[in-house]
Amino acid sequence: MPEEMKHGMACAEFDALLSDALDGGGLSSDRQEKFEAHRRVCTVCGPMFAEAQAGQQFLQTLEEVEPPAYLVHNILAATSGVESRRTVSADGRTAPLVERAREWWDSFFSPVTSFVRQPRFVMSFGMIFFSFSLALSIAGVKPADVAKVDLRPAALRHAYNDAQIKVVKFYDNIRFVYEIESKVRELKRANAPAETAPAYQQDVPKERKNNNDTSGQPDQRQDRNYSQEYNQPMLAALNGPPAVTRTTNRRLI
Amino acid sequence: MDDAQVVGLLVRRCISGDAAAWEEIVQRYHRRIYNVCYRFAGDAENAQDLTQEVFIKMYRTLNTYDSGKGAFMTWVTTITRNLLVDHFRKTKSDRVTDSLDSIPSEHEDAQPLSERIADRAPPPDASVQSRETREMVHLALQKLSPELREAVILRDLQDMDYREIATALRVPEGTVKSRINRGRAELARLLQRTYRQVI
Repeated sequence: MPEEMKHGMACAEFDALLSDALDGGGLSSDRQEKFEAHRRVCTVCGPMFAEAQAGQQFLQTLEEVEPPAYLVHNILAATSGVESRRTVSADGRTAPLVERAREWWDSFFSPVTSFVRQPRFVMSFGMIFFSFSLALSIAGVKPADVAKVDLRPAALRHAYNDAQIKVVKFYDNIRFVYEIESKVRELKRANAPAETAPAYQQDVPKERKNNNDTSGQPDQRQDRNYSQEYNQPMLAALNGPPAVTRTTNRRLI
Repeated sequence: MDDAQVVGLLVRRCISGDAAAWEEIVQRYHRRIYNVCYRFAGDAENAQDLTQEVFIKMYRTLNTYDSGKGAFMTWVTTITRNLLVDHFRKTKSDRVTDSLDSIPSEHEDAQPLSERIADRAPPPDASVQSRETREMVHLALQKLSPELREAVILRDLQDMDYREIATALRVPEGTVKSRINRGRAELARLLQRTYRQVI
């Protein structure tokens, strides 16, 4: 800007006063007069004044824009993490109670529902439902039967008593069966030794003498019931010389 | 109790951990900050993100605010302005003050801004015309250099006085005035060419 004095004012001074003059900054009458005179004469500052004035008028046409409705909510969530206590609508009024309740409900459940609605969980939920329904159908449970269930307290008490009676009866029956079985087993045990003892007793010494058998043949006693063997009362015993088994004979030959 | 005392009290409560005080601060200033960001960044999405960033920065540095050094609004404006400048540098959209007939970038079509604006000639309806004018002014504002843009936004849209702007921008008051004058004039030149072509 040329430093040229026109009507007692340089262009730099004009530039410094330009914004004050446009904003109505209150120039003194003397300065205002010099400013106006300079503006009329100066070929640089005159158009500059007109353009700045026009630009100011253009900018005055711009209105304040409305922030997004959830901006405050987002800011609070990103900073303090505390939910907004007052819900104010876009026009500055407090939102009605129902709307606030719905927002509270949404804010509480929306994280859960949005988490659950992820595609990776859909297949899992589908499989759980399918397995559950399959298990119910195999068990013979029908939805229609479930719907007919009487949920009155008296009916529930009655169903509980029925179930308890069934359990007690079942237990008593099982106990009776076991008692019968044990009696039969005792009777068998009492009768069995008298019939089998001679044959058994004849074999025992023979087998006991074969402890030094190195023929490689499998031991014939290995699948015997040892507990039964030693629990049986000894009714007879042989005191003769050790018997020579067929295996021993073969070895000697 | 005047506004400065109320804000000072809110800040002290907020520093001591009062969430309600912080919410009050957000409620008081979010509209103003959002408007500054919107006019500077040019679109609502960026403005929303930047506004959030401003409040996050405020929340973290609230204990550094000194009421003796200036008004709370000036402090907030300084934070906003710094973040806007950072954002401007990051996005590398350093748009210099250019004429409407210059081609802004090689990514845009070869049509100059004046023709692009002229294509959307305002219809005769007055309200639509007014809306179109506002859109053109907003679009032209984005073509100003960041220094001129922030100065005219704070002065003509946020109605801050020169001393506050000088404090927020950390430049002398004379520089602020000069930038405002040049910003207004440049904006007018951009728009007058457009109108001339439209007519």
